[in-house]
Amino acid sequence: MAGYNKKAETAHVKAEHNQHDEEHFREKHLMLDPLPRGQMNDMVMESMYTTSWKFWVVFAILSVIVAWGLFYSWGRMILEGLGIAGVNRPAYWGIFLVNTVFWIGISHAGTFISAILRVFKAEFRRPFTRAAELMTTFGLVQAGFSIFMHMGRVWVFYWLMPYPNERMLWPNLHSPLTWDLLAITTYLLSSTMYLFLPLIPDLAMARDRSTGWRKNFYKILALGFRGTEGEWSHLRNAMSIFAFAIIPVMFSVHTIVSWDFAAATRPGWNSSIFGPYFVVGALHSGMGAVIMVLAVVRGTMKNMKYFIRPEHFDAIGKLMLIISMTWAYFFFNDYMVQWYGGDKWTHMLLHFHESGPMGWMWFAMLIFNIAIPWAVLWNQKWRSTPWIVFIVGLLINVGMWFERYIIIPISLSINRMPFTWRLYHPGVEIPLGIGTLAFFILLYMAASRLIPLIPVWEVEEGQMAHELKKFGRETVVTVSELE
Amino acid sequence: MAIELKVSEVKMGEAYVGKWGMVIDQDMCTGCQACVAACAMENNLSFVGETDSGYGRSMHWIRIERFWEGSYPEVKMTPNQPMLCQQCGAATCEPVCPAFATVHSQAEQLNLQVYNRCVGTRYCANNCPYQVRSFNWRDYKRPEPLPNQLNPDVTVRRRGVMEKCTFCIQRIHKAQDKAKSEGREVVDGEFTTACAQACPASAITFGRVDNPDSLVSQLARVHGHGVKHLEELGTLPNVTYFKGG
Amino acid sequence: MAENISLLAVFPDLGPAADAIDQLRALGIPDDHMNVISGIPVTEAMLGRPNQWTNVPRLAAGGAVLGFLGGMFLTFVTPNSYPIPIQVGPQAIIPGAPTVVVLFELTMLGMLLSTFLGVFLDSYFPNYRPMEYVKEVSDGKIAVFFICPEDSKEKMTKAMTALGAEKVEVAEVEQL
Repeated sequence: MAGYNKKAETAHVKAEHNQHDEEHFREKHLMLDPLPRGQMNDMVMESMYTTSWKFWVVFAILSVIVAWGLFYSWGRMILEGLGIAGVNRPAYWGIFLVNTVFWIGISHAGTFISAILRVFKAEFRRPFTRAAELMTTFGLVQAGFSIFMHMGRVWVFYWLMPYPNERMLWPNLHSPLTWDLLAITTYLLSSTMYLFLPLIPDLAMARDRSTGWRKNFYKILALGFRGTEGEWSHLRNAMSIFAFAIIPVMFSVHTIVSWDFAAATRPGWNSSIFGPYFVVGALHSGMGAVIMVLAVVRGTMKNMKYFIRPEHFDAIGKLMLIISMTWAYFFFNDYMVQWYGGDKWTHMLLHFHESGPMGWMWFAMLIFNIAIPWAVLWNQKWRSTPWIVFIVGLLINVGMWFERYIIIPISLSINRMPFTWRLYHPGVEIPLGIGTLAFFILLYMAASRLIPLIPVWEVEEGQMAHELKKFGRETVVTVSELE
Repeated sequence: MAIELKVSEVKMGEAYVGKWGMVIDQDMCTGCQACVAACAMENNLSFVGETDSGYGRSMHWIRIERFWEGSYPEVKMTPNQPMLCQQCGAATCEPVCPAFATVHSQAEQLNLQVYNRCVGTRYCANNCPYQVRSFNWRDYKRPEPLPNQLNPDVTVRRRGVMEKCTFCIQRIHKAQDKAKSEGREVVDGEFTTACAQACPASAITFGRVDNPDSLVSQLARVHGHGVKHLEELGTLPNVTYFKGG
Repeated sequence: MAENISLLAVFPDLGPAADAIDQLRALGIPDDHMNVISGIPVTEAMLGRPNQWTNVPRLAAGGAVLGFLGGMFLTFVTPNSYPIPIQVGPQAIIPGAPTVVVLFELTMLGMLLSTFLGVFLDSYFPNYRPMEYVKEVSDGKIAVFFICPEDSKEKMTKAMTALGAEKVEVAEVEQL
C-alpha cells in the first residue's frame, strides 16, 4: 500500500511540475511568450524613439573620432602619400589589409545568421536577423574604406572597375584583387538588398505609427508597401532566393580574400587550405561580434530584454564553440602541413611567428581564439550570461585581428631575400583603424534609432508557429512549418 | 616506355631563352655601389632621405646585398650580390596587378611597369620573390639644381606608384632606333645599361641572351656554373650570377 | 447594373478571414475581386486562395543569364580586344580558373540584383500614390478587400460581421 501511495504522490508532484514547466518555457523562450502584435510594434517603436543623454555623449565622441581618425587622417594620407603610414619594404601590406580582412570577417556573421539559419529554419535566429544583417552591411562599408585607404593612388580607384573607356582598357581578370573587387561589390550589394527586403514590412509598420520627419522617412523607405497577397508572395519568393544564393556568395567572398594571400608565391601564404580557413575565421570573429552587439543592444536599448533573451546567447554561444573548434582544426591543419613540408623559408617563418619579436601575439591568438572560448562556452550558464559572452566575443575578435596581423605584416617581414627582412611598425594606420571602428559603431547606433532593429513580423510568425505539446507527461516545444 | 610530356606554349626551365639578359660576376664585384648611383641618375630615382631609407623605403632599382658567414670573431664575408629585377620570363608580379600596370613585353621579353596605370595596390611587390620593386611612398623633394640632372628619356614618378628596374629600356630603344635609321641590326656591345656601364670592375655584362655570339652568352658558356636566383620557383629569370669561379 | 464598390472587412485572426473568403465566394464574388492585406506573410493555402503569380524567380533566372553573359564578355571578349593581347606572367590570355571566379561572381550579382528589382517590378514599388489601406493590419489584423455591387453592401456587411469581422466599411483611398 505504502508503495502505491508514494507512486501517486510522485505523479502528483510531476503534474505540478509540468505547470511550472510551462511557465518556465514561457520565461525562457521568446517564441513561447507571445504578445499581441500591436504591443510588440509599440515596444519596437519605443526602443527607436528612446535615447538617453549617454547615447548622445557616445555619439558625439564617436563623431569626433571619425572626423579625426577617418577623414582628417585619410585626407592627410592622400595628400602626403602612404609615407605617413607604416608600410615598408618588405611589409608592403599592413594594417589596412588586416582591417579589410577583419571587417569582411565581421560581415560574415550577418549572412550566416540570416541566410544559413533561415535556410535551416533555426528558430532562435528570428529576433536578431536584422541586428546581424546590419553588421554585415556596415562591416563591409568599413572594409571598403580600409581597402581604399590601402591604395597608393586612391583617386584613380575606378580604374579597377570594368567600364568602357576611351582607351578600351579593362581590369586584369587574372588578378585576385580584381576578383576581390567583383566579389566584395556583389556581396555588399546583395547583403544590403537582403537587409532591405525583410525590412520593408517593418518600415511600413513604422510608417503607420510615426509622425513628423520620421513619417516621411519611413514612407519613402517603405515604398508604399501594404501587405497584399501579391506583395508578400513576391517578397517571400525573393527572400528565399536570396537566402540560398547569398550563401555561396558569402563563402566566395572570404575565399577570394584568402586567395589574395594564397595565390602569392610567398612562404606561409601559398597554402591551399586558406580558403576554408579564412571563411571559418570570418565566422569566428563575426559570431563574436554578433554576440557583443546583442549584449550591448539588450543592455542599452529599451524593451530589448523581451526580444533578446539568454536563450539566444546560449544558442550563439554553442555556435561559437563549434566554430572555435573548426577554426582550431583548420589552423592546426595549415600549421601541420606547412611545418611538415620542410621548406626552409616556411620553417623560418613559422619559427618567426612563434618566437620572433611578435611571438606574444601568436600565443595570444591561440589563447583568445581557442583556449578561452573552450574554457567558457561549454558551460550553459556562462554562455547564457550576456557580460561573459561579451568578453569572450571581444577576446575572440582581438584574437582574430591578431591572426590577420600575423598572416599579413608579420609574415611579410620574412621572405626569400634575407637582405630585405625588416619589421613593420604601424603609423597612421592606427588612427585610421580606430576611425573605421568608431564609424562602424556610429553607423550602428544611428541605424538602431532609425530602423526597427527587431523584425517584428518575423517574430510574430515564429510565435504563431510555436506551441507546447504534451508527449505523455512531458511538455515539449513543437514548431510548425509555416513557410 | 618513356612518357612524353608536351609542354608546348610555355617553355619551362632550361628550354627557356629570353631576349635581353645579364650576367653578374660576384667574384668581380667590389661592392662600390657605382651601379646603384648610375642607375639612380639614369632612371630619375627619387632621393628618399635618411629617415625613410632607414625604415626600409630606400628607392633603388639595384642594390648590393652584403652577407657574412659565421659568428664573431670568425666572420667571413661572402661575395657581394647585386640584386635587381630579374626580368623573369614567367614573372609572378604580372598576373596579380588588377590594373594591367605591370605586363610582359612580347617584343623585348621584359617586365614592363606602366607608371601612369599603377594604382598602388603593391601586390606586385609582395609577390616578387626577389623583392626588387620600389614604391613611391611620398613625393620626395628634388632640391635645385638636381632637377637639371633629370634624364629626359625617363618619366618622373609621383607618390603612390610602383617602380622597378627596366633594363634601361630607354637605352634599348635608342639603340634600336639608331640601328634602324642606319639600316642595320643592333650590334652587341653597342650600348649597355647604366649599371653595367658604370661598373669599374666589369662585373655586370648586358646583352642578347638569344644570340650565342654575344658577350653575355659567351661569358655564360665560359663560366659554365652560373646560377639563377630562386630558379626553383619557375620564374625563369634572365639574370645569371657567377660565384666562386 | 449597379455601381461596384470596394468594401473591406477587418478580421482578428486567420480562421475567420478564411471563412469570410469562402462566404464571399459563396455570395458570388470571384477570387480576383478579393484581396487580403496582412502584417505577416499569410500563405495562399491558409486562406484557401488561388496561388499568386510571381515573376520573381523568372526574373532572377533572367538576371543570372544576363550576369553570366556579362561575365563572358569580361572574360572572353575584353582580353582579346587589345591590339596586342596582354601577356601577364606565365598565364594564358584567357586563364582557366580565374574565368570561373569572374563568371560565378557576375552570375550571382545579376541574379540577386534582378531578384531585388523583380520585387520592385512585380509589386509596383516604389508607389507613393494614395492606396486602400487600414493601419490595423500592421497590428496583426487581417483585412479582406472585395469588390461587390453597391446594392449588396448591406448583405455583405451582415455576412462579414456574422463571421467575426471587427469592422466592415467602404474602403477609403488614403495617403499611406
